[in-house]
Amino acid sequence: MSRSDPLMPNTLIVARREYLDRVRSRMFHVSTIVLATLAVLVAFIPIFAKAVDRGTTTRVAVYSSDPQLRATIVANLGTFLNQQHDPGRADPYALTAASSEDAARQSIDQGAADAALVGERAPTGRLDFRFYTGEGIAADRSQLINVGTFFIAILDYTSLNRRAPGQAFTFPTLETVAASGPSTGAAPLDSADFAGRRILGIVFVVLIFIILVIYGMWVAAGVVAEKTSRVMELIISAASARQLVIGKVLGIGAAGATQYVAVLVPSLLALGLENRIATALFGPGDAISPSLVALAPPLVLAYGAYFVLGFALYALIYAAAGSLVSRPEDLQVMALPLSLIAIGGYFQAVLALSGGTAGFIRFASYVPFWSPFVMMTRLTVGRVEPGELVLSYGLLVATIAVTVVIATRVYAAGVLLYGQRAGLREVVEAVRHPA
Amino acid sequence: MGSTCILRCVSLVLDGLSKRFGQVPALDGLSFEAPRGQIFGFLGANGAGKTTTMRIILGVLRADSGTIRWGGTLHDSLPRRVWGYLPEERGLYPRMTILEQLVYFAGLYGVPRDQAAREARAWLARFRVPEFADRRADELSKGNQQKVQFLAAVLHDPEVLLMDEPFTGLDPVNVALLREAFLELRDRGKTIIFSTHQMDAVEAMCESVAITDRGRVVVGGPIREVKRAAGRRMVRISIDGDHRLEWLSEVPGTRLIRPGIDRTEVELDAGVDPEAILAAAIARGAHIRHFEIADPSLEQVFIDHVGRPADEELTLATVPAEDSAA
Repeated sequence: MSRSDPLMPNTLIVARREYLDRVRSRMFHVSTIVLATLAVLVAFIPIFAKAVDRGTTTRVAVYSSDPQLRATIVANLGTFLNQQHDPGRADPYALTAASSEDAARQSIDQGAADAALVGERAPTGRLDFRFYTGEGIAADRSQLINVGTFFIAILDYTSLNRRAPGQAFTFPTLETVAASGPSTGAAPLDSADFAGRRILGIVFVVLIFIILVIYGMWVAAGVVAEKTSRVMELIISAASARQLVIGKVLGIGAAGATQYVAVLVPSLLALGLENRIATALFGPGDAISPSLVALAPPLVLAYGAYFVLGFALYALIYAAAGSLVSRPEDLQVMALPLSLIAIGGYFQAVLALSGGTAGFIRFASYVPFWSPFVMMTRLTVGRVEPGELVLSYGLLVATIAVTVVIATRVYAAGVLLYGQRAGLREVVEAVRHPA
Repeated sequence: MGSTCILRCVSLVLDGLSKRFGQVPALDGLSFEAPRGQIFGFLGANGAGKTTTMRIILGVLRADSGTIRWGGTLHDSLPRRVWGYLPEERGLYPRMTILEQLVYFAGLYGVPRDQAAREARAWLARFRVPEFADRRADELSKGNQQKVQFLAAVLHDPEVLLMDEPFTGLDPVNVALLREAFLELRDRGKTIIFSTHQMDAVEAMCESVAITDRGRVVVGGPIREVKRAAGRRMVRISIDGDHRLEWLSEVPGTRLIRPGIDRTEVELDAGVDPEAILAAAIARGAHIRHFEIADPSLEQVFIDHVGRPADEELTLATVPAEDSAA
């Protein structure tokens, strides 16, 4: 029989010490300033991109089964879109006619076009547009094309009304479809929203990687420091391994959250101000669609849950890994497999952002070690069914519950090993027969 | 309920503890009783299983078999604050102040922060280092850190103190301070179990001992009984101007076992009258300064049972002549 210590209050006492130890350290202050600076720079990327983008041309393949409508779109939409630009620069938009809808879409995949616009006339006379976006099209240009479709509808109505007077004007419809990316084939997203979400996706994938790997390594390094200084001998008799592991994860997690808020607030401010800054720098014609519009409250909640659960899972394993080494220099080697798994999740998330293999990305978004990266990205730029989200969270929570038990047992055995690295057999033995 | 049961019910009783690490046996049916309110010496050579035993008592390790009871209750049913532990491997949080860490450790045992701070300051003052309260651990010497660790072990007022080599690394002044603290805690009803290689400390402070070897207790009980049970008698003698006592070889049934400038120990075979030595010395006209008939020293008992001194690793090994020539 072993002693069953209640989790509280010792877990909170350990967490408090860990929190204060981190946030008071000089390393914490320096890294917070560096990360905040980097995050603000990342938040300003759309402005840098805009500076570069101003000289580029967006190529749009146009198709309509009505040859006259197709010719109208190519000729008039091009004129409309290119009417306001600096003389001496290339036209911002180049429209070309495609032979079929499929050909228009393929031209995006082949890199011959950045987007495709398909317009059809419904039996009621209304114009229905479908706008296929590639990955290279800027959000503001998408928006302008949307406005342009309205202009085409007015032109079309004027021309038809001349031939058949008395028909009422009908507003055109427009659906935006991602031709590439994780939402390929899914229900369409508004293009401005889609572009804003991709920027957010990049920011949050980087942030979650920092949280899981860097803060996770803080936990492991904390355990090794306690072993190295031998203070572990005192605390392991004063508190249970479960209290120590969970307290450490909570305390360092809270320190990480503090740094996270310190980094996030200025970067969110920067994102919120990017439109005004772009307008001030480049003029009213070159405004940036604000990325923050994509940050809806349910999305924030979903992010928060993945950050917390993902950190809990990784930090527990990092704590166990830290307990198995006696010297700080051995920690990197011990933690490498977990770091590689995290890097795998990071790259899959990046793939998901830029249109990876849809089937595998979907699978990875359920795998607990990857779901904080991949499902979060799918939520950001794609469409996720509620059932998928429940499955992803459920698997993650279940894995954490199992990991708490295993990590605690490994920790309890590992912290008493000095000058030797535990072999797999010892680790398995510790998990099967805990102290 | 007989008197034996009453004694066992109030003692710390270890019964048949066994523990293996892989193929290596660390404890092999270890049993002993440490009476409540006494200082108990837990002796053994390095690797005898002392630290493993303490860790099992604390619940940090689990025994493969055997039981531990304190006051009749199984040890893993008792709260952690029953125990206070000074580990052999010493360590503190290097960047925390001494007061912060003492409050932290006491807090883990359930002592409120303000009470812990008050007690910690009082103990630091008693150890004549009140100024340590606001200093970081890495600013203190090893010996002073050790004193702080002792305070971390006693601040929550445990019933039983487990001290693993508490005197190692301390200078004589601090050894004296720690001994005084031990005796005071004993007088307050605490039970103190400590391991050490310093036999003089055990003889000076402990009422009872257990000597372990290869994971089992080879002899234990009240010190006087342990010594008597050795079945040997000793004479300690000191003679002005003669510390070799070469004439002793002419006294039958005596063996010079520990020559010394100040005092020499002589072992007597059974049936030999100690006064034969006294008579032989007087017959030679020696000026006897000290003559004592005594039990064997605890160190001698230890060597008898374990076959080597407690601190054998601290002495140089004998090097064969050809090796040393090479």
